[in-house]
Amino acid sequence: MFKGLTNVAAARVWHGTMPVQYLYTAGVAGERFFQTLRRKGVFAVTTCAECQVTYLPPRLYCERCFADLSEAWAEVAPSGRVHTYTVVHEDQDGRPLDPPQVVAFVRIDGTSGGLIGRLLHLRPQDVQVEMPVDAVLAPPRRRRGSMDDIAGFAPRRVLPRRPTP
Amino acid sequence: MSDRVAVVGVGAVPPRPLSVDRSYRELGFESATRAYGDAGVTHQDIESFISVCEDFHEGTSITDEYTPDQLGAVLRPVHTIAGDGLQGVAAAVMLIRTGIADLVAVEAHCKTSNILTHEQVLAMALDPTYERALRVTPHFVAGMEMRRYLHETGSPEDAVAMVVVKNRRHALGNPVAAYGGILSPDDVLASATVCEPLRELEISPNSDGAVVLVLASEEAARRTPKPVWIRGVGWASGSPWLAGRSWGQASYAGVAAEMAYRMAGITQPDREIRFAEIDDTYAYKELQHLEAAQLAPRADVTRMVMEGDTRRDGRLPVNPSGGSLGMGYCFDATALYRTAEAVRQIRGEAGRAQVAQATTGLVVSWRGIPTQSGGALVLSAD
Repeated sequence: MFKGLTNVAAARVWHGTMPVQYLYTAGVAGERFFQTLRRKGVFAVTTCAECQVTYLPPRLYCERCFADLSEAWAEVAPSGRVHTYTVVHEDQDGRPLDPPQVVAFVRIDGTSGGLIGRLLHLRPQDVQVEMPVDAVLAPPRRRRGSMDDIAGFAPRRVLPRRPTP
Repeated sequence: MSDRVAVVGVGAVPPRPLSVDRSYRELGFESATRAYGDAGVTHQDIESFISVCEDFHEGTSITDEYTPDQLGAVLRPVHTIAGDGLQGVAAAVMLIRTGIADLVAVEAHCKTSNILTHEQVLAMALDPTYERALRVTPHFVAGMEMRRYLHETGSPEDAVAMVVVKNRRHALGNPVAAYGGILSPDDVLASATVCEPLRELEISPNSDGAVVLVLASEEAARRTPKPVWIRGVGWASGSPWLAGRSWGQASYAGVAAEMAYRMAGITQPDREIRFAEIDDTYAYKELQHLEAAQLAPRADVTRMVMEGDTRRDGRLPVNPSGGSLGMGYCFDATALYRTAEAVRQIRGEAGRAQVAQATTGLVVSWRGIPTQSGGALVLSAD
């Protein structure tokens, strides 16, 4: 066996970073989703009638039967139920988040999928699995066609009425 | 030609939170030396080599090019699996069963102490279009899985805490485990919340390590001192989308275990499996994986854990080594640590961690958040 260092304080390291940059293509399905979100304030979905699966985020193919779904578009209201959630106490760098943020996976009504987002306008202790929520969207003129157009989700009762497109 | 494949050599360095004195290649060299010695072979006898590693965990692009020399694999057949460790084991089984090689080495390592922004690596694994915008700790995925699991099963948080208590206690009996300790469920539940309901002590601590396994055909295995037979292997990946996954269930592990059981001819896993080394990267994962591997019906998992059935002296010991909660979490190498510990059990070499009559063991692995990938391995004394 090789001999280890006897003074670990002398152990040499080099600092480095991987400064890589990318473009991520939204694709045909992603383009339609974000354009629809920006223009109408609703979610574009694709449905496989055979498997009875409605994809959100939308996909051009069914992952089960492999059908082409490029002509199987529909639109659904930006409302759903909290499928699961967590109260997050750390940011992406491991630093404390104060106040903590409530992040949920929202199962969007009429779909088999959903979206990840922040829960807004409620206290962490008041969140419940399966509670109904509506998306809180940026005003139409400020929407750019990205996930930033969705500020988060809020309990349905708090909003005066469902946000209109 | 026999179809049987055995693990004939195991070599590992004890997982530790820091390894400042040695490079990952030196850790790998030590593990390879131990494994080849354990099998009674030399590096020249090994006919093909498989490494399990990923660029972003190493900080080197095309990192598989850096794996041959520490394994004795220079100018030899070698390839890398950038995936779960059991996918590497499965590739070795395939090389042997197709007759390409009789002796294959599988290596995995992790030098997590060198990854200064590990959470960023995990965050970059999320879908860039729909899932990356939150900029919170990627443990949020685990927090949401745990919440849904507890919601669907009605399990109390105490059951999750009990997994930590058990595995940390098991680790006390394993001389290479770094995180042995005597805790109460209240200690666990009093630890800091990271992503509620997930707590700090329910997350296995990151560790450095390296493991090498030597696999052999039946003919080659008969010439080695301590073969442990691979009766079945399986692996599966779910949909990568967070939107498409089963939050409350480890469905990938269910498919992987079924595949391994089918190959092994196991029809009643809860009776035929004597002990299990199961992924416990997060404590709730052990509960999900127990259910997925059909070692307990969903409704019984909590009771089994609370009543001590999964302790070393229980009916179905789970992670007698201490698991990742007790030994440390070693990223790409985690599945091979679980496998190495299961081999030691079946050989009767586990010392104070030894399970009585440990003839048939199950390994269940998971590639970690945000993946839905994992594997299963059935190991047996004959």
